[in-house]
Amino acid sequence: MQRSSSPEIEIDTRRADTVRRTLWYGLVVVILIWCAVIPVFDGNLSLYFAMMMWVTLATGLNFIAGFTGYMPFGYVAFYGIGAYATGIAVKVLGMSVYLAIPFAGVVGVLFGLLIAPTLRLSGIYFAIVSLSLAIICQRAIALMPEEVTGGSLGLNLGVVTVREHGYYAMLLILVAALLTASWLARSRLGKALKAIRDDAEAAEALGVNVTRSRLYAWLLATLFPALAGGTQAWFTGALDPQTAFDVLVTAKTVIYAMAGGLGTVLGPLVGTVVLVWVDELIWRAFPVLNNFLLGAIIAALILFAPRGLIGSLTRRYPRLRRYIM
Amino acid sequence: MNSVLLINGLIGGVVFGAIYALIGSSLNVLVGVLRIINFAHGEFILAGGFLTYVLLTYFGINPLVALPFAAVLFFAVGYVLYYLLIPRLAHSDEPETASFLLMFGVSLMIVSVLTWIFEADVRPINFSFDPINVLLYTVENGYGEGRDAKVLVPTARLVALAINALIIVALTWFFYRTLPGKAMRAAIMNREAVQIVGIDIHRLSATAFGLAASLAAVTGVLLTLVVPSIDPNGGADLTLIGFIVIALGGLGHPVGALAAGIIFGLVEQVSNVMLPQAAAQMLGFMILVAVIFFKPSGLFGLERGR
Repeated sequence: MQRSSSPEIEIDTRRADTVRRTLWYGLVVVILIWCAVIPVFDGNLSLYFAMMMWVTLATGLNFIAGFTGYMPFGYVAFYGIGAYATGIAVKVLGMSVYLAIPFAGVVGVLFGLLIAPTLRLSGIYFAIVSLSLAIICQRAIALMPEEVTGGSLGLNLGVVTVREHGYYAMLLILVAALLTASWLARSRLGKALKAIRDDAEAAEALGVNVTRSRLYAWLLATLFPALAGGTQAWFTGALDPQTAFDVLVTAKTVIYAMAGGLGTVLGPLVGTVVLVWVDELIWRAFPVLNNFLLGAIIAALILFAPRGLIGSLTRRYPRLRRYIM
Repeated sequence: MNSVLLINGLIGGVVFGAIYALIGSSLNVLVGVLRIINFAHGEFILAGGFLTYVLLTYFGINPLVALPFAAVLFFAVGYVLYYLLIPRLAHSDEPETASFLLMFGVSLMIVSVLTWIFEADVRPINFSFDPINVLLYTVENGYGEGRDAKVLVPTARLVALAINALIIVALTWFFYRTLPGKAMRAAIMNREAVQIVGIDIHRLSATAFGLAASLAAVTGVLLTLVVPSIDPNGGADLTLIGFIVIALGGLGHPVGALAAGIIFGLVEQVSNVMLPQAAAQMLGFMILVAVIFFKPSGLFGLERGR
C-alpha cells in the first residue's frame, strides 16, 4: 500500500495523535487523583470500589472482544479464578495478600493459556464453550474438598487488612488496565489485531501472525479480571462459588463495554461510569424492577446504538476522532 | 449398584430426555431459521409454566386444558415479538452476537417480572392424576430376602411423555410434509435462496418465532407435570440444556435435536443417581465442550463450514 506522502497530512496526523494522547493521559491522571482522595474525604468507598472494578473488567474485556471480535461469555471464569486463587493463597497457604493478588493474576493468565485452544472456535461457538467452561469451573470448585475451597459455602477471609488497602490496590489495577489499553491501541500488536478483526486472511497475507497476536490479546484480557476478582475477595473478605462465577458479572461487563463502544479505548470507561451510575440510581428508586430496567437498557442499546455511546458519536461526528482515543 | 435405581434412572432419562428434545427443537427453529441465539429461551419455557401455575392455582384449570391455550397465546406473543425486536438486529455489525445480548436483556426483563409477581421462591404445582403412580415392574427380593423393590412412575410423567411424543410426531410431519415446514427447513439451509423463490422471509421468520415461542411454552406446561414445582430463576439452566442439545444434535438439524435430547436426558438422569449432583451437572457441559471441539457439526450433523 502506498502511504500518503503529503507532509501536511503527516504532520496533522502526528498532531492529532499528540492531542489524543495528552487528553487521555490527562483524564487518567484526573481519575487517579479523584479516586485517590475519596477515602480521605469519607466518600462512598463501596460504590467507587465497584466503579473501578467494573471499569477494569470492561477494559480487560475490550482487549479480546473489542480488538479481536471474540465474545467470551464465560469471562467471569477469570474473575472467579482470581478470587479463589487469592482466597486459597491467603487462607490455606498463608500467603500475604500483597503477594496473593499478583499470584491470582498469574493463575488467571495460566488458565487463559490452558483454554487458549478455544480461540480456534468462531462466533457463537466460542461464546457457548466459554460460558460452559465458566460453569464447569464453578461446579468443580464447589466439588473440591472443603479444606481447600470451602465447597459450596465458600471461604470467609475476614478482615485481611484495612479496607483502604484493598481500595488502593484496585485503583492501581484500574490505572494499569487503562494504560495498557492506550498502549495496546497505539502498538504494533493493537494495529495487527484490528487488521485481523477486519479481515483475518488479508492480515495473514500481509505477514501478521494471526494466532500469536490473538493469543497475546487473550492473555492480556485474562490478566485483569483475575486481578480484579482477587482484589474484590480481599475488599469484601468473603467469596463463594455462586457469586464468584455469577453469569451476571460477564453480562454486566459486556454491557458496560458495549454501551461505551467496544474497540475504542475510552468506550468501556465511559460506558461503565454512565451505566454504573444509572444502575445505582435505578437501584435506589426502583429496587424491585432493577434488573428489568437493566434488561431494557441492554435491549435498547443493542437495537438503537449497537456501536455504543463513543462508537455512535464518532460515527456521527468524525471530527471527534481527533480527540478520542 | 441397585438395579431398581438404574431402571428409575433410565425411565427418568426418557421422560426428561423427551422434554429436552422439545427444548432443543424449539431452540433449533430460532437458531436455524432466524440465526437468533435465544438466551431467553428458558424464560419462555418458564412463562408457559407460570401460566399453568396461575390457571391451576387461581382458576382450578387442568394443565391439560392449559396446554392448547398456552400454545395459541405464545404463538401470538412470539409473532409480535419478532416484528418488535428482530428486523432491527440486521443493522448490527455481528447479528449473532447482538441477538445473544438482546435476548439476554429480554431474559433479565422476564425473570425480573416473574420474581416481582411470584417472588423469588419455588412454587408448588398441586396437581396429580388418579392413581398418582403407575407400577411398572416389581423386582422380587430387590432389597434382599423377601423385600420386593417396585419401579413406580408418577402418572403425570407418563402423560407428559405421551403428549411429548405426539407433539414430536406432529412437528416432524410439519417439517417434512407441509409447505411452511419445508420453507423453514429451506431457510435453515440458505436464507438468501429462500427469498429468491418468492417466500416472504419476514412472514416466515415471524411464523418461526411464533412456533418456537409456542413450543417453548408447551414445554413449560409439560415440565409442570414432570417436576411439580416452578422456580422463577430456573430459566438459565433450561436455556443451557437447549444449547447442549442443539450442539450435540447439530445446529438446525430437526431430527438430531430429538436424539440428542434423549441421549442427554439419559446421561443426566443416570449420572444423577450415580454421582454427586454438581458432578452430574458438570458432565453435561463437558459433553457440550467436547462435542463442539471434536465434532463441531454435532453427532448427527452434516459437515458444514463455520
